Amino acid sequence: MPNQTIKLGGGLRQDADVITVMKAGRLRFLKPNKYWVESSQKRYVPRVDDNVLGIVVDTKADNFLVDIKGPAIAFLPVLAFEGGTRRNIPKFEAGTLVYVRVVKANPGTNPELSCTDASGKAAEFGPLKDGFMFECSTGLSRMMLSSPTCPVLEEFGKKLSFEVAVGLNGRVWVNAASPATVIVVSNAIMKSESLSSTQQRIMARKLLEKVQ
Amino acid sequence: MEIDRIDGRSPNQLRPLACSRGILNRAHGSASWSQGDTKVLAAVYGPKAGTKKNENPERACIEVIWKPKTGQSGKQEKEYEMILKRTLQSICILTINPNTTTSIIIQVVQDDGSLLPCAINAACAALVDAGIPLKHLAVSICCCLASSGYVILDPTKQEEEVSVFL
Repeated sequence: MPNQTIKLGGGLRQDADVITVMKAGRLRFLKPNKYWVESSQKRYVPRVDDNVLGIVVDTKADNFLVDIKGPAIAFLPVLAFEGGTRRNIPKFEAGTLVYVRVVKANPGTNPELSCTDASGKAAEFGPLKDGFMFECSTGLSRMMLSSPTCPVLEEFGKKLSFEVAVGLNGRVWVNAASPATVIVVSNAIMKSESLSSTQQRIMARKLLEKVQ
Repeated sequence: MEIDRIDGRSPNQLRPLACSRGILNRAHGSASWSQGDTKVLAAVYGPKAGTKKNENPERACIEVIWKPKTGQSGKQEKEYEMILKRTLQSICILTINPNTTTSIIIQVVQDDGSLLPCAINAACAALVDAGIPLKHLAVSICCCLASSGYVILDPTKQEEEVSVFL
């Protein structure tokens, strides 16, 4: 192979001259030169620009301490909100669920989060009220966020109306008008991890028949 | 000269192996490994923030807890924990997540000989299931010296008891 610069993503590591793999998973390749290992885990490895669901654990003077299922606890600066100033700091109690974006993620330090998108707008980040949150694997969250739309969500979306927030760290939040809808959607998502797309559609249709 | 093992195996033959991953719901990684009748369950939690007091904060720390099938943890269990900890420290990449602790809990379900190698294999499978970065995979096997002077692999509990050296 001629001289090429290859970018190594997650799961691969360079040891002097040899590239070795660190995790079990599928090796993926994106042209022109990106390689990475895609694996599905229960724990999350923080990466920049990921949208995750965090739970507020504590409040400090400048930051909220937020748990995002990673090796270290993450900081959410008190001012990282749209139109945030020292006078209107939001009050988050311990246990609040927040939808945030990862801004900084370096191996030795605590990750930093933000409730605004890159241009400073709120864009649906922030606390999530009501609804039900459950945990799943990172592979399932990635599948739900991929395009074309995940079959389970599509089938349910045709008949039921609900809101869903998917965090790439393996947390999903579902909200709907009636608890029955929330339960059926959550259970369907949890079961769809190992099913192919046709199987997911069949399962979604069967569940819809039972509900209606 | 053919050596007669109680279950009819040849000296180099292993017992049937079985492994399942992802069996525990709450653990971040789990695996069960069985060699014949010996069965060990391994669970991995982590990486979690913070290391113990004596450990180097520049590297990740590995903590092993060995739970015997019955009775209290004694010196034998502490020895197994130390051996496992050293083995796993050599295969894990410790510099990736500094200042974190990964806990590995080994539960002996059934002991029919060759217990420590079975536990090492189970712990390695559980680490892979949890997605902890590893340099290599660890594989281990037990061999013992029978009284007739032959080296046999993967002994059962009976063979271990009559062996001269393990």
